[in-house]
Amino acid sequence: MTAALSTHQLSKDYGDRPALEPLDLEVALGQHVALVGHNGSGKTTLLRMAAGLLDPSDGEVLVMGHVSGSMEARRSLSWLSDSPTFYDDLSLWEHLEYVGRLHDVGDWQPKAEELLDRLQLGTRRDDVPTTFSRGLRQKAAIALGMVRPFDVLLVDEPFVGLDQNGKTTLLELLDEAAAAGSTLLVATHELAFVGRVSRLLALRDGMLVYDGPPNDTDVHSLVLPA
Amino acid sequence: MADGSLTALRDLRRTRQLHRLGNLDWFEAAYRVYLLGGFGGGAVLWISSSIKDTPLAESTAAGVLRNGPAALGLLVAIAFMAGIRGGAQGGPIALEAPDVVYVMLAPVDRRRALMRPAGQRLRSAMFTGAASGAVIGQLAARRLPGSLVAWAAAGALYGATLAGVWVGVAVLAHTVRVPRWLASTIGLVAVACQGAALAWHIPGPANPAGSLGLWGWRQHPTDLIAVAVTVIAVVVGLLMLRRISLDALARRSALVAQLRFAVTMQDLRTVILLRRQLNQERTRQRPYVRLRPSRSGHRGLTGSVWRRGWSGLLRFPVARLVRMAAIAAAMGVLQAEVVRGTTPAFIGTAVLGFVLGLEVMEPLSQEVDQADRADALPVDRGELMARHLLAPAVALIPFAVIAGVAAILTLGGDSAAIVPVAILALPTVLGAAGGGVVSIVRDMPDPTSSSTQQAFMPPEMAGFTTTIRLAWPIVVSALTTCTVLLPRTAVRLGDSVTAASIRAALGATLVVLLIGYWVRVRDRLRRRIRAFLDEGKSYSSQQRSSA
Repeated sequence: MTAALSTHQLSKDYGDRPALEPLDLEVALGQHVALVGHNGSGKTTLLRMAAGLLDPSDGEVLVMGHVSGSMEARRSLSWLSDSPTFYDDLSLWEHLEYVGRLHDVGDWQPKAEELLDRLQLGTRRDDVPTTFSRGLRQKAAIALGMVRPFDVLLVDEPFVGLDQNGKTTLLELLDEAAAAGSTLLVATHELAFVGRVSRLLALRDGMLVYDGPPNDTDVHSLVLPA
Repeated sequence: MADGSLTALRDLRRTRQLHRLGNLDWFEAAYRVYLLGGFGGGAVLWISSSIKDTPLAESTAAGVLRNGPAALGLLVAIAFMAGIRGGAQGGPIALEAPDVVYVMLAPVDRRRALMRPAGQRLRSAMFTGAASGAVIGQLAARRLPGSLVAWAAAGALYGATLAGVWVGVAVLAHTVRVPRWLASTIGLVAVACQGAALAWHIPGPANPAGSLGLWGWRQHPTDLIAVAVTVIAVVVGLLMLRRISLDALARRSALVAQLRFAVTMQDLRTVILLRRQLNQERTRQRPYVRLRPSRSGHRGLTGSVWRRGWSGLLRFPVARLVRMAAIAAAMGVLQAEVVRGTTPAFIGTAVLGFVLGLEVMEPLSQEVDQADRADALPVDRGELMARHLLAPAVALIPFAVIAGVAAILTLGGDSAAIVPVAILALPTVLGAAGGGVVSIVRDMPDPTSSSTQQAFMPPEMAGFTTTIRLAWPIVVSALTTCTVLLPRTAVRLGDSVTAASIRAALGATLVVLLIGYWVRVRDRLRRRIRAFLDEGKSYSSQQRSSA
């Protein structure tokens, strides 16, 4: 059976500094995975390579059996960045329309409206998201990441800047995506979130130091630098 | 699915274009065009009038015909090197950051999605190349056989080809993923081959492209090979757009947005800084020479800033040092050209000196960029900034030597030139770099002004201020580089060249000292002026209330 996400000897270095040591990893379809590690441990590097936004120094990433960045991989994968970017001349609603249409979602409006309501952005739909606060931008990015269909959702630090309400909604949305059969890989410093996942990955200085169920380990010790 | 996505992409671009046009301040845009036309046209007319209209002597014209293709081909080879290196570093296309995330990560045909930005890049480069070529072509027409229209057309063809080579090769290098070391090697070999062609009159790889520039005089149909090769490179590059690296696009997108903003704000220092980042030019982790730790903890302000300056300077990457050496050499060549009669060349030297100043004054730039940190120190900011000039000034000595050697070689190795060059090289390089200092220090937060003062500036005044802001540092640099006119005049009048050179060096040194003094007292002067104006205002209001 094809893994939702797999890496083969995937590595990345920035000049003389290794960001990710060669990594072999398989994430099965429908798995709900948390990725933890200290600052600079390689979490974002791994996610960005999986999204196709960063060229590996060596090795490869496959998304649903396709090389990351390929047309098929892009169709399957949704990427939620920790620093969302927006067009400064499009409203939030126009962003949603655009992303929906780019992914050929015929009936994107009901989904978009539902997301905006749940994220409490309904009154801001005609505003330009570049003018939003940090938390609202994060919510807007969540809406954009979820208005389109996906098999794999990669999320980098999703809780930063969110109020309690936003965190609750995001957790619900992630649970719903998992229940619908999507594979989730969430990089986070929110250790409370780790209890909700079925698998925990921990990186330290670019090396995978833990891969297993979240209950079998002391998560706090995993996120300390060497 | 792809067709639906591409339709969405087309619709979005149309929507955004309408938004942009709706938000455009047409009066402001027209005013900018008017300013550009006025100053640009004036500059072209002035340079044109500075060039003699008398035709070149037959032997000189023959020299142009013999060396022209190789010399102009050398520029094409340099464009080739810039293109292949730029492509290996992720150029030449830049998208907006949201385009990278939303369009490039969507299941759309990347080649078709990138065709428009790539086409825009090519068009703007070729237009700039053709326009510059046409202007230079009409200047050549004044002294060489051939009609003005023919020379302008030939210049435009050459300029467009040169730009096409740059963009086409860059796209190809990017899509083929040429490693950086290989790109630098291929580029250097191309330039070296063409340099050899120029020096020893052997056929060079870029001679046909260079020869296009002489079509105002004579036409060789075989030169069209260069055009054909350029077109092929561009077309193949565009066909391979699908292979473009998203990593590079993502990295460049944020930088290019800042770069465009900096260009809009005429912030040349930031433009240069961002260009370095675009080219992935990073300072060295370890300095070339590790400074010995201080024996006593207390070094004083001068000692501390001096040490901090060298800690930064000794981390300059090799690429920047080579670029600075090339700039210094070009300064020497241009100053020698001034001596040989091309007066406007001293402005070129000033511009290069200004850029050299921006490069070498990195420690000062860092201090200005970290304004909060500098302001938190228990020392006068002017005193601190003035001390930041010392280490870069010393670091400029080898570059002054390079400029001097280049000047002497350009003057044919004339031994009579050695003494004047030795006297003038360092003051000229230091003074020309002073324009960079002015640009950097001017950008420091002003302790006396508020943003509201600028916000209420009328558009006419704002436009004028913007122009002055752009030109002023270059003018400061030019005040130094124009001193070379003194020894030139002495040569013509048969006076002592050494005495004239000493006078010129003293003039340049005076400019250097004045810049240093200005850096030191700028804040204090501004505070005094502000206090004086405030005092005047309160006096006037008292008078009014008593009346």
